[in-house]
Order: sequence, then structure tokens, then C-alpha cells
Amino acid sequence: MEIPYTVKPRPDTGLYNAKLGIWLFLASEVMLFGALFSSYVLLRVGAEPGTWSMGLMDLFVGAGNTMVLIASSMFVVLAWAELKQGNLAGYKKWKWATIACAVLFLCVKWGYEWPSKFKHYDVWLNNATVLHEKFDEGYHEVASHGEHADDEHEHGDAAHGGDVEKHVEKIYTTRFFKERSEPSHAAFDDAWRNGTLALSGHINAYEEAQIDVRITDWKADAGVSEADAEKALAKQGAEDAAGLRLNGGLLLSKTGYDIAKRAEYALGQAGFTVALSVAGYERVEAHPWMWRTKRVNEDIGGKPRVSSIVFGLDHSHHQEITLDVGDIKRLSAYEPKHSTFFGIYYTITGLHAAHVFGGILIMLYNMLPIGLGLWHRDREQFTNRIETFGLFWHFVDLVWIFLFPILYIL
Amino acid sequence: MSDSHDSPTIPDLIKKFHFVGGVLVFGTIITFVIDLMFALPLALSAVIGLLIALVKASFVVAVFMHYKWDKKLIWITWTMVLTFFFFAGMMGLIIWADGDAPNLARNEMSAIWVLLASLLGVVLPASFTVFTVKMLSQPAPVEAAAPKARRTAKKKS
Repeated sequence: MEIPYTVKPRPDTGLYNAKLGIWLFLASEVMLFGALFSSYVLLRVGAEPGTWSMGLMDLFVGAGNTMVLIASSMFVVLAWAELKQGNLAGYKKWKWATIACAVLFLCVKWGYEWPSKFKHYDVWLNNATVLHEKFDEGYHEVASHGEHADDEHEHGDAAHGGDVEKHVEKIYTTRFFKERSEPSHAAFDDAWRNGTLALSGHINAYEEAQIDVRITDWKADAGVSEADAEKALAKQGAEDAAGLRLNGGLLLSKTGYDIAKRAEYALGQAGFTVALSVAGYERVEAHPWMWRTKRVNEDIGGKPRVSSIVFGLDHSHHQEITLDVGDIKRLSAYEPKHSTFFGIYYTITGLHAAHVFGGILIMLYNMLPIGLGLWHRDREQFTNRIETFGLFWHFVDLVWIFLFPILYIL
Repeated sequence: MSDSHDSPTIPDLIKKFHFVGGVLVFGTIITFVIDLMFALPLALSAVIGLLIALVKASFVVAVFMHYKWDKKLIWITWTMVLTFFFFAGMMGLIIWADGDAPNLARNEMSAIWVLLASLLGVVLPASFTVFTVKMLSQPAPVEAAAPKARRTAKKKS
């Protein structure tokens, strides 16, 4: 089927069909993004002071990515101008440059910005005053520590007594208010006293339970023997199950939580009576990626799966505090469910990034022989196709132009 | 751009593209510098940030998207502009609603803003509908009708 008016303007609209089509599509896109922008504004304006994440986004990265998109927008229009002049080589040059920019943008967004958020945590404590002793234990080390000693000085000495409060307030203020003000101070005071305070930082290590899996009994009447139990246990990871025999039971000792749970299920299915117990705790060095909150809530026979976490506070790379799981009310990575801000942040930037990704696919199509075939058949139509893609690409750039101040500055 | 009457030549356009690129980079740098150097209240930084973004966006639309020379897109522009105000109106309505019931007597919000916003939310889609109906019911614009006439004349001859 021949689509009419791909080159000549249609008399009644005065535009070639593809251009009218892409503008209509963009109009619908305006509504789509308009709804999300409105949602953002409403959520932002409606947020209680101290509940909106601020000062979290790296302004340098955001501005850098803005520059990258601006450059790509520039390149895509230059590619079209080259085609207008009949220069296919010039078109290819600028188009590759556009693709490179788009890929760079996505790498920064999906390879750096998002993952670094997923590895960042907020922790809410049941009782913030526990921090006084925690900070006394390990935190004051830092004052005499190397490179950051100078700029950390004002709170480096501040490990004791009421000064801890000052340092935590500084972190809290940067996190939720950017700058210190009367309202920020009031909000901090309130949070500090009633225990709704959120500390931000990274989990550097945690103490996880080592679990004994014990087979205490087996159904002899159903033809299951001790030898079967030994085999079954060996299958679950006990190298030498017979050697671990003790007190009339068989033991798979000091294994991880997941293995223990799996063994409990599999052995139970096979007709054995299984008991799990916590043998002790082991420190695990880790910088976990989206370490799910539920892990700290899991327990074995009333003993927590994780007994404590070692938390490296923001803006204090040498400073760690160990928090007992019992003191933690909520622990959450900066994933979508963390807060309203991150919910809408991932939605909007994700939708925008999906547009960038789609754009890359279309650009690649227009660079490959299958897409370039049109150039050799009908130069004007191909040029128009590139122009309509350019319109889409500029729109993607436009969305980012508004996203940049909204997400990184406000 | 065969469909535009007064569009500049390609070399002229490329110069304009470079200029707009410069404006965009400059705008980004200004936004960045202002945020780093001044601690402004939220409302003010919102206004400044969004104004700069608006200027950047206008340049992109006008030049990169050749809107300046595609005046025939005027109807679609209406769609977009009205969409913007429609959302503004919707936000007004939502802010107006206090729980389940409309409440004009809220301390934090002067009634006049909610009224204006709600009015926009109602009037603008309505006017858009009127425009659309009007546009659909009228013959092709005079400007566009001319080449059509010429073409039929050619065919006949």
C-alpha cells in the first residue's frame, strides 16, 4: 500500500502526513508526561517538611547528562541538514554522534545513577538516643583519620554527648532540607526525640546467622533409614554427614540462611523431622545491592537472621556505627518503594530513559542498510523520515530540559 | 521544509542551530551556577529554574523543531497549550479538594487561586472542543487551498 503525501504536503493540512502524525503523537506525549509532571508537583508541594528527599541527586552528573542530551539534539538536527544538502556521509557522521550521546546518557542513568541509589540506605531507629552510645563506641576515631580530617574537623571532635546530635543533624539537614533553617532544625529536633529520624548511608557489613540444620528423626516405618538420612543430608551440602553425627541426630552445621531453609523444606518433604537452630553469627563484608528490608525481619526460632548491621554514614567515609537489628524500625534502600520521591523519580526518569532507548533503536534502523534503502529509492522521503525522528528526539530532549531543574534542584 | 514558505536556506539554518546549541549550554550552566552559589527559597528557585527551562524549551521548539517556519501546526499547538492549562486546572481542583469535599475556607490556600484554576480546568477543554469542531467543519485554509487549485489546473491542461 502506498501511503500518500509522504513528500508533498497534503493540501488541507499544509503538511506532509508524517509530520502531522508525529506532531499528533507528540501532543499525546505531552499529555502523558504532563500527567506525570503534575503528579510530581502535587506530591512535592504536598510533602510534609522533612519527608522529601533533597540534596540527594548529584548536580554535576545531572548537568553533565543535560549537556549530553543537548549535544545529541544538536547532532540530530545537523544530520537532517546534511541530508537536505544531499550529503549521506555527513548524515552518517552526525547520526553516529547522536547515537553515541544517547548511549552515554543511558550508561550514566542506568549504569551509575540508578545503581548508586539502589546501594544507598535510609535507616529509621526505634529510639534515636541509642546513637549516643553507638557514636561513642566507634565514631570518634575519625577525628585523627587522614584525608578528610580537615573538613570533618568540626564534627570530628563531636563524637561525644550532645555534639553527636549536631553531626547527625548536619547529615539529616543535607538529606531532607539542603540548607539549615528554623523549620529544618525544628523537624530534626522532633525526629530525634520521637524516634522517626532517618539516617542515610551505606551498609558496609552485617552479622548474619550461621544455622545448624539437624535431622532429629526419620520415619522408619515408611522404609526411610538412617542411611537415607545421611544421603539426603549430604545432598543438601553436608560433605560428610556421618561424621557430623551427634546426640542421636544428624547435623548440617553452620550453614547460610537460604541453604538451611531449602534443606528444611527438602528434607521435610522426604520424610525427615528437621530442626533449625542458630549456631552463631558471622560478620559478612558487603556493599549489598538492594538488600531487602525483609532480610532483617526474618528469624530462626525467634533469633534474628541478621543480628546487626555496620552502617557507614553519609559524608563520613571513615565513620561506621554498628546498629543492632532490634534498634532498627525500618531499613530501606533507595528503591521505588522507599518513598514517594523515589516512586515518582524512577517512574519519570524511567519513562524518559525508555524513550531514549527507543530512539536509539530507531536511529540504528535508519543507519543500517535496511533503513538506508529508502534513501536510494526516494531521497526526499528519507529526509522527511529523519526530520520526523528529529522531532521526536527534540521532544525527548525537551522533557529532560524540564526534568533537570525539577529533580536536581527543587 | 518544502511545506514552509519563508524558511531560511540550509546554511543559514545550521548557523541558527549552532546558536541555539549555545543558548542551551549557557542555560544549563546558569541553572547550575545559580543553584551552587545561592541558597534560594524553594519557590524562588522553582520559578528561576523553570523559567530558564522554559526559555531553553522555546528555543528547541522554535528552531530545532522548525516550529518557527511551520505555522500550519497552529491547531496542534492549541492542543498542547490547552493540555498544559488543563493540567494546571486539574491541579487546582485537586488542591481545592480537602479530603472528600471541596473546601474554600482553607487557610493555606486563597480561594481565588482555586477558583481561577478550576475555571481553567473547565473552560479550556471546552474551548478546545469548540475549536476542534470549528476546525473540522470549515473548508481547508485559504493558504493551503491555493496549491491544490493549481495542481488540479495542471492535471486538466
